[in-house]
Amino acid sequence: MIDADLAAFVQERVGIHVGTRNQRFEPNGARALAVRVEHDGAHLVVYLAEVAAKRIVPDLEANGQAAVSFGRPIDDKACQIKGTFISLRSASPEERAEIVAQFESFLTNLEEIGIPRRLAQRWPTWPCVAIRLKATAVFTQTPGPGAGEPVR
Amino acid sequence: MTPSLESLATCFQGLLPAQLYTCSRDGIPNAAYLSHVDYVDSSHVALSFQFFNKSHRNIAENRHALVMVPDPDTGQGWQLRLLYVRSETSGPLFDRMSLRIEAIASYCGLKGIFKLRAADIYEVLAVEAVPEEPADAVGPDVKDDLTPTAAPDPVFTLKALQDFSARLQCADCLEMLMDSILAGLEESFGFKNSMILVPAEEEGVLVTIATRGYGENGAGAEVRIGEGIAGIVAEARKPIRISGLMRGMLYALAMHKEASDPALALRRRRIPLPGHANPESQLGVPLLVRGDLVGVLVLESEVRYRFHEEDKTLIELLGSYLAIAIQNIQMHERSAEVAAEAPREPRVNDAEASASRNGPREVAYYTADECILVDGEYLIRSLPAKILWRLLTIRESTGRDEFTNRELRLDKSLNLPEWKDNLESRLLLLRRRLEQKCPEFRIAPRGRGRFALELTCDVVLRTKQ
Repeated sequence: MIDADLAAFVQERVGIHVGTRNQRFEPNGARALAVRVEHDGAHLVVYLAEVAAKRIVPDLEANGQAAVSFGRPIDDKACQIKGTFISLRSASPEERAEIVAQFESFLTNLEEIGIPRRLAQRWPTWPCVAIRLKATAVFTQTPGPGAGEPVR
Repeated sequence: MTPSLESLATCFQGLLPAQLYTCSRDGIPNAAYLSHVDYVDSSHVALSFQFFNKSHRNIAENRHALVMVPDPDTGQGWQLRLLYVRSETSGPLFDRMSLRIEAIASYCGLKGIFKLRAADIYEVLAVEAVPEEPADAVGPDVKDDLTPTAAPDPVFTLKALQDFSARLQCADCLEMLMDSILAGLEESFGFKNSMILVPAEEEGVLVTIATRGYGENGAGAEVRIGEGIAGIVAEARKPIRISGLMRGMLYALAMHKEASDPALALRRRRIPLPGHANPESQLGVPLLVRGDLVGVLVLESEVRYRFHEEDKTLIELLGSYLAIAIQNIQMHERSAEVAAEAPREPRVNDAEASASRNGPREVAYYTADECILVDGEYLIRSLPAKILWRLLTIRESTGRDEFTNRELRLDKSLNLPEWKDNLESRLLLLRRRLEQKCPEFRIAPRGRGRFALELTCDVVLRTKQ
């Protein structure tokens, strides 16, 4: 489902957002900090600040549906991975360095297009939760007529 | 306390991308980037519909949506709970959103591809702060180019408008009026970088006639109607305001297009348009009199969010006034020409005496291109080139160095149209271009409708194909 190239893309320099919906089919969403694609290419772990996760975890626990979007500011390259919820846990201290590194790489990419780092200086990166999803589909989202087409 | 949409105005400039969340009728959520959320009124926003993507299909099935927009000044994220109301495919809102997309697409060389299909209007049900994106604590000593230094500057005070108007009233010729407009925009309202372009003789082309705040005056620089902000403004005859990020992101694309388009490469004899290398904010307004395009006024800034909605509205209003002022002074100058004296008799001695004989300059007129090169360097083309060539040849054959606008109008070799010949603006353009590129040649006013061609060097004239 998620090959090495796609895994490399989503794990560095991208802005990440998780979309869910409640039982009334009203959408919810939150910014994520980092993602880790598991070796099988079929599962991914999405890391969110606890304050962000609070808005979407009830939806995930109720219906399991998730959409994770990835966008790279410098060139607008973007994709979306649809998934179903598997589990939720607190991020471990061992994972913290990678989470911060990924988020920092995103902020660096924003700086490259002129958005100052200070805008995100108070955005919390810890404590963090890890949401494990099973990937069910991948779509391209780079702006243009091809946006929304399945990657495979 | 729930913030008003008005208080989130900076979020609606497209400086930072927004995020749109939707849900299909079968309960599958969708998350997608969105270039722009537009303010409509105190309870509605508009989202651009450009492509038939999943978000749009979802909205057709389920009217609920959520948008997250970051504040580019503070970093504070806001989420807006939305309910789709309707789509507009015409009207002021649609035009405003469409023009912005057209202008940006034009910079990319992709005009016509990124087309607005509709402005989708949503009712805003709730506005909430996003807790994982809290505002930074910007102190007075922390400033960068996203900080809205120009935010609510009270620039459009009655006093400033009075000063501006008084300055324009003093102008008694087109050149003074143009200079007064641009100087007044800076000194009364704080807009430091500006330019005025007017329609060229060649159909579908604008030519720069006056600039302020740039290293070079840029007189004679051309853009095609539909190209860049000035060209789009001229084509649509409506104002456009572009802020920050989008422009920066698409700049590289525009350069790529420039390099890859053979038609553009062929236009080798061109004067570069003045302006910042990478302007972050631009505001363009058409100068219209009863539907006729007199010119285009473009303001620029390196500050990302320099021009606000009220700036656009007020500069558009000023534009109507400026257009009438420009047209009036052209008519005034022309009517005064009738009373102008005939050109003086040849003053060969005067002309010869004025030349300091610093060595001759070769002026070559290329008849096929109607352009002039001085010592091999491009000077100007089209009507201003024809005028200069005519003046130089008359001077060479008769020794006369003083001329009237009226004789140029009657000169069949110049083939000026009977109406709307824009002679004054062409003379102004020529004068500015000479000041910059060939200061040994000077067009000096000699009273209303009269001028002299003063040379401080010898000249060798050559005609080339």
